[in-house]
Amino acid sequence: MSATPRESNPVRAFMSEVWGSIFRHGLPTTDKVAARTALTNFFLHIHPVRVKRSAIRVSYTLCLGGLSFFLFILLTITGLFLMFYYIPSVDQAYQNIKDLEFVATFGLIIRNMHRWAAHAMVITVWLHMARVFYQGAYKPPRQFNWAIGTLLLLTTLLLSFSGYLLPWDQLAVWAITVGTNMAKYAPIAGPYTRYLLLGGRNVAQGALIRFYVLHVIALPLIGFLLMVVHFWRVRKDGFTGGL
Amino acid sequence: MAINPYDTPRGKFHARAETTRRQFLLLMGGLGALGASIFGGVQLLKFMFPAATNDAPQQFKTTFTFDDLTGGVTADGKPKVGATVRSITADRVSVVVDDGGIYAVFLVCTHLGCTPNYVTNVTGGSGVADAVAEGRGNRTGAEKIPNGWACPCHGSRYFIDSTNFYGPAPRPMDWVDISVAPDGYFVVDRGAIVVYRQPGQTTVPEWRLLLTSKKSNDKKLGVS
Repeated sequence: MSATPRESNPVRAFMSEVWGSIFRHGLPTTDKVAARTALTNFFLHIHPVRVKRSAIRVSYTLCLGGLSFFLFILLTITGLFLMFYYIPSVDQAYQNIKDLEFVATFGLIIRNMHRWAAHAMVITVWLHMARVFYQGAYKPPRQFNWAIGTLLLLTTLLLSFSGYLLPWDQLAVWAITVGTNMAKYAPIAGPYTRYLLLGGRNVAQGALIRFYVLHVIALPLIGFLLMVVHFWRVRKDGFTGGL
Repeated sequence: MAINPYDTPRGKFHARAETTRRQFLLLMGGLGALGASIFGGVQLLKFMFPAATNDAPQQFKTTFTFDDLTGGVTADGKPKVGATVRSITADRVSVVVDDGGIYAVFLVCTHLGCTPNYVTNVTGGSGVADAVAEGRGNRTGAEKIPNGWACPCHGSRYFIDSTNFYGPAPRPMDWVDISVAPDGYFVVDRGAIVVYRQPGQTTVPEWRLLLTSKKSNDKKLGVS
């Protein structure tokens, strides 16, 4: 404990007790305290207490997984802002996007951050997977995390696809018409899948609300849970520290 | 040492062979719960398949009448304006008039479902000779030839009888039922397909709404 247990000033005593109840460690001045800092802090415990110098080389992972996660956080925050203006109704959705672009203060930059971060996330997730593949980092003991990773890739692509419909412009409507008709080509389950996705026979209000719910709640939640497992496995499986 | 009777060699045999009452009840209860969950889950899946949808009605009435479109019928039973086409893009139907009569093409591209646009130079750049397009259907008069439909999504093209000849579309577009209401306006029923052709089936369909009787000749193709 860094906090002095006895303090003559009652305010300082109270504050140090509050501080001590939140932070169970002092400033990380020594290796031992630094290790305890990482172990006892929720936000820091994702980091291993010690890693090999070679494992934190940027050229080892190119930070692609971290970039993907950063973009996910960015998309969650900007998406939350967009939700204040966007109404998933065929009569209003397109106008809401116009309002975001031309009326809402900073609306244009928030919408574009969301849009470009979404494109970038698909790219970084894809490159991350390629990096893992070419380094053979999917091999034992990391097979399970590779499987989780493929599900995360799928979640990312579905998030991208579901978000594509929401502006409700011509590009969106016809892209989803084409996409769901591709699903229809699947044997037996195809037509049911299309009906399930669209909630009808055409890309209309039923499809918009379904894609909206998938985009803002269902898929992010699935992605978040998969990420929790993914990161935990990264920590438990450890780093090989270079090739 | 064998305080527990099941710990004896004979007892061990019975322990394997016999199921205790607790094990049996657990098994039955577990199976029951599993079965109920699976049944309930499958039933709940129906929630996601709406029993009724808010899709536009299959049947609709046009904003133009029989006489608007044809300009009336000549003494020898031909349209006065000659061959003509009127597209209702919002409802995804083109109404085509030729010497034989009237038919309605359902503008849903057979590739992936976009709405093809009506064009008057459908063969342009496709490498298909104009003469091939002219041979589709029974037409004389003012209509610009070669005409047909081109899909904006992936470039599929269709002759005026809706036969595909270029791009990824696997088969011709369907024809739907069209009739004349007592007030002279057309009624198109997109739920009633009158011509359904398979891939490679390029015959010109004979179904027509006849100009003289204003009734269909009922020569359906590919549907019963």
